[in-house]
Amino acid sequence: MSYVRIENINKSYQQQKVLNDISFSIEEGQFLTLLGPSGCGKSTLLRAIAGLNEIDSGSISVGDRNITALPSKERQIGMVFQSYALFPNMTVFENIAFGLKMDKMKKSEYTPLVEEMIALIDLKGKENRYPAQLSGGQQQRVALARSLVKRPKVLLLDEPLSALDAQIRRSLRTEIRLLQKRLKMTTIFVTHDQEEALTVSDRIIIMNQGRIEQEGSPEDIYTHPASEFVARFIGSYNVLKRSDIGLDSLPDTELFAVRPEVISIAPLAEAPVAELGTATIEGKVEQLYILGNVIRFTVSAGGLDILVDALNNSTVHRIQEGMDVRLFLPADKCEPLRQ
Amino acid sequence: MKPKTSGKSDGRKWHGTVLGVLLVYLFLPVAGTLLFSLARQWQDGILPDGYTLQWYGSIFTDGRFLAAVGRTLLVGVITVIVTLALMVPVIFVLNVYFPKWERLLQISVLLPFAFPPVVSAIGLIKMYSSGPVAITGTVWILIGVYFIMIQPFIYQSVRNSLSTINAKDLVEAAEMLGASRMAAFRRVILPNILPGTLVASLLSFSMIFGEFVMSRMLVGGQFETVQMYLYNQMNTSGQAASAVVVTYFALILVLSGLVLKLGAWKPKGYRSAQVEEE
Repeated sequence: MSYVRIENINKSYQQQKVLNDISFSIEEGQFLTLLGPSGCGKSTLLRAIAGLNEIDSGSISVGDRNITALPSKERQIGMVFQSYALFPNMTVFENIAFGLKMDKMKKSEYTPLVEEMIALIDLKGKENRYPAQLSGGQQQRVALARSLVKRPKVLLLDEPLSALDAQIRRSLRTEIRLLQKRLKMTTIFVTHDQEEALTVSDRIIIMNQGRIEQEGSPEDIYTHPASEFVARFIGSYNVLKRSDIGLDSLPDTELFAVRPEVISIAPLAEAPVAELGTATIEGKVEQLYILGNVIRFTVSAGGLDILVDALNNSTVHRIQEGMDVRLFLPADKCEPLRQ
Repeated sequence: MKPKTSGKSDGRKWHGTVLGVLLVYLFLPVAGTLLFSLARQWQDGILPDGYTLQWYGSIFTDGRFLAAVGRTLLVGVITVIVTLALMVPVIFVLNVYFPKWERLLQISVLLPFAFPPVVSAIGLIKMYSSGPVAITGTVWILIGVYFIMIQPFIYQSVRNSLSTINAKDLVEAAEMLGASRMAAFRRVILPNILPGTLVASLLSFSMIFGEFVMSRMLVGGQFETVQMYLYNQMNTSGQAASAVVVTYFALILVLSGLVLKLGAWKPKGYRSAQVEEE
């Protein structure tokens, strides 16, 4: 039996359904990410699991306990907020010790636990600082320590990195992942950042308009998007119609997702003949960007804008903006999409 | 270059003159009152004939004056405490749990500004001079009226403090860590809104201390406050009345100083030194 079970959760605000029959489960020690655009219901779902939002129907269980009707403080769930929500009048030490004090623990009992946590988040020597004296990244680490010190059964992270700048975000997400693995902490992470989700998660659930669009490992989600929404949201997929590709050997659906890096490009004048099972599309290079080791072309073909990524080497250097080109799409790399 | 410099110094002179005139306009009545309260006699001449502290002596040995000060302090302190005790929890609950209803409180709190004090006073006299709650002429009606009058100050300040600290997130974080709502309020919210609330309390208190219209119309001589005492003194001795005004002015000055000091004071966590770099 799975460790966390979310079953048939429904929630509406003023007749608008924000969570529509959501069900999924998480294994113990797993890192699950709820990924989706703003307003897709992911934060509402997380707050429902935390007990901060009521739900209309459904059930939430952790271990063998049904916690649906329990208040937040009895759920044994930790949560890190987007705004950190550190208590401004308390020092780093006092912030981390707060939850243990609420459990009526004696000072002599909680001091070593708090100190251990401070060492774990690498803030030794800053115990007596106040939140206002710390950087954003340090504040978020204190918020994390404050939740972890109580050894919750599940840790919820509500867009914890979105207020930080890109570089700190990258290093902190790796830190969070390492810490989670070390403590084997069952974690649910909410984000709208695809890259973040793909980098840290064991499993990803993609949400859209209060429903689960797709569920799977980061690799699965990236290589086999199930719907047009996922294909467009998860990366810069090209979504093409069957008629745009024009191959008979394609599976029997109307829409296909094609990653920019599986498409080959060649100047029309010197393009080879297509192999069997490869579609060709002719068009004109509209734009060209150099993204380091990759060059991204936007090719306009019969009203379509197709993205193509090619390795930045001498064979593609001849291709310039405005040039007529031929694109090659292998049929087996065209992912059929559910509509 | 030369004309520019002279233009600059002309401008400075002009600023200085305007500022000087303004200061004279503001402080001349106060200086006059101070001088009058220290004058032995001041009949004909620009300055008094001699100086004395006898008027201060007379008011500070006057039992009536001291009692009036005591009454005003009592009304002020009780009103501020009652208002804080009732308003702070209400504003907190609305702000954190029922933000939709806050609009109603906002409107009700601003209503007193819509009515001139005299109009309110007449309405209150009509309402409370007879019937089940006949409290006109007692201290209770004064406390009730002052409660309404200071509400906007307390409301605005507490609400601003709650928004600044993002109270909803703090309460939710505290609850997730095992605190009850009461504990979250007491340990997390209250210490953080204290400075703003203290400033609002002192402002409210000094407003009550100087209030005349309501105390004159609703209780009159039956509960003599400082302002009522001052009003009565003006009919008997102008110099003693001046001494009351100067004493009152000094007290308000001290209170304002305290407000400024508290306004700049921050709880421990906000006294930010250098923020750490990553």
